[in-house]
Amino acid sequence: MTRHLLQLENVTKKFGGISAVNGVSLHVDKGEIVSIIGPNGAGKTTLFNLISGVLPVSSGQISIEGQDLARVPGHRYAQLGIGRTFQNLALFKHGTVVDNLLVGCHWRMKTSVLEAAFHFGRARREEIAFRHTVEKIIDFLEIEHIRDKTVGTLPYGLQKRVELGRALATSPKVLLLDEIVAGMNQEETEDIARFILDTRDDLGVSILLIEHDMHLVMDISDRVHALNFGSTITEGLPHEVQSHAGVIEAYLGHGSGEGPAAAAPIQTGAVA
Amino acid sequence: MRSGYYKETIARHVDLTDALSQRVWIAIALAALALAPLYFDYYGLSLITLMAITAVGAMGLNVLTGWTGLISLGQTAFMVLGAYSYAISTESWGWPPLAGLALAGIVPALASVVVGIPSLRLTGLYLAITTMASAFIVNHLVLEFDGLTNGSSGIFVNRPTILGFAFDTDQKFYYLCIGVALLTVLACLNLRRSRIGRALVAIRDNDNAARVMGIDLRSYKIYAFMTSSFIVGISGALYGIFLSFVTVDGFPFLLAIEALAILIVGGIGSIAGAILGAIFLVGLPEVTSMIFSLLGDGAQGLLSTSAHEIKGLLYGLVIILFLRLQPHGLMGLWQDARRVWTLWPLRY
Repeated sequence: MTRHLLQLENVTKKFGGISAVNGVSLHVDKGEIVSIIGPNGAGKTTLFNLISGVLPVSSGQISIEGQDLARVPGHRYAQLGIGRTFQNLALFKHGTVVDNLLVGCHWRMKTSVLEAAFHFGRARREEIAFRHTVEKIIDFLEIEHIRDKTVGTLPYGLQKRVELGRALATSPKVLLLDEIVAGMNQEETEDIARFILDTRDDLGVSILLIEHDMHLVMDISDRVHALNFGSTITEGLPHEVQSHAGVIEAYLGHGSGEGPAAAAPIQTGAVA
Repeated sequence: MRSGYYKETIARHVDLTDALSQRVWIAIALAALALAPLYFDYYGLSLITLMAITAVGAMGLNVLTGWTGLISLGQTAFMVLGAYSYAISTESWGWPPLAGLALAGIVPALASVVVGIPSLRLTGLYLAITTMASAFIVNHLVLEFDGLTNGSSGIFVNRPTILGFAFDTDQKFYYLCIGVALLTVLACLNLRRSRIGRALVAIRDNDNAARVMGIDLRSYKIYAFMTSSFIVGISGALYGIFLSFVTVDGFPFLLAIEALAILIVGGIGSIAGAILGAIFLVGLPEVTSMIFSLLGDGAQGLLSTSAHEIKGLLYGLVIILFLRLQPHGLMGLWQDARRVWTLWPLRY
């Protein structure tokens, strides 16, 4: 079996008696954009919380580059190459854009408390070096003009972009994007789509995406993984998943089974 | 809102101050501090000394409560530990004062690990109450181990001689306290602009996201406790020298409330706020007694008989007023004032 970059095998998460995620297996290879779709409550965000170490798995295995994550503490996931954004912004809102991105660089910096207190030697060198790193990301995401603004004062669309930048600052191998274009207008969505593609093509970062915007999903995904009630419905190429009977049922409900309607693919955008 | 200002290298971004005007103001402030003993009498000077010591303690608490968002009512415990570490090591064991001061930081820092461990699971009010317990436990321990600490009778502390220089007069001790306060300011500013400071603030703003960014919440909360207690311990030692007598009665629990009040009044999370708050709250009783003395003999009599109660009342009143009217504290007022000044009259 080939080793995938990110691999989930039979991952289950139980809250009490409820299985939020139930035996999900999926993988992401280098250079891929994989989307996870599914109705509200399908367990998509829970799955992300498992992959990013926010929650422990109940059973099953998650591994990155062949390394099992079961015994890795949550704060080490970033080091192993897992970066993420959150569904509802989770920025450090009192800090500036640069501050937020620098927090993303945290694990790559090594300055100790004493060096930091005296701003001595490595502390200063690192600070300058990672400012350069951050400036590159700022340049990449075209947010130069808000560099020194306090994040909490920025409009929603820009905050999302800053959050993408912060995730990129952790230097991920796989980037988990949780509904990054939710609440954005057409233009902002297209900008983000371009950044996602550039992230993959220019930075070589693989992407796992939760998204309700079907236009975006169908346009940029290499593969799509559909979930409902914590279980996989189907997985495959975007157009295959789009026309899968189970997916249509999950979104539009049971009962449309009779007649030709079942065979018709769900309309892009209908469930956005 | 400055304009026409360009930074040519990344290194300039990392500097603490970039503006000439700021440097000039800092120089003026330093000169004023250096010349203060020439203009103030004994009483005024001891007041400024006390402000400096309080500011050090407030900056210490700010690391924990202002930056990391962990409310602690137990910092008096670390003041006591700092003061006793200094007193015992220099007076009983005959250590040099510099080593005593170092110990006054190290002992509380180590002790804070024990107090900090509950913080790994607790936040907010629960943590405040848990840390409060430590203040009482330490006081009882001090009274219990009277072979070492002299129990309730306390320890006399002499003015120190550091590196051959005797800080034996009030004026010289003033310089020592100002020096320590300036070092603390510098250390705090440096920490704040480093990965450590950013990590602590990240934990306050969003601990989940902080962990996903690779910040080890446990270690960093403990770091915050240790750094905070180190600084608070030093301020405790200075306070002990200031009183020239170390006893548990010198560090009442009210100090912990006072410290939180300083942060709230000054503007929580800001180093300048901690300093302003310390100046404000230490100066408050003095200003009040001046006003009372203007009101006549009756009012002055009331002040002298119930000074402690009036002080407590004033703190309460000030906290309520600030929380209600200016939650960002004196720093918030300052920023508002600056905004008005820049915009008036329609400069942009």
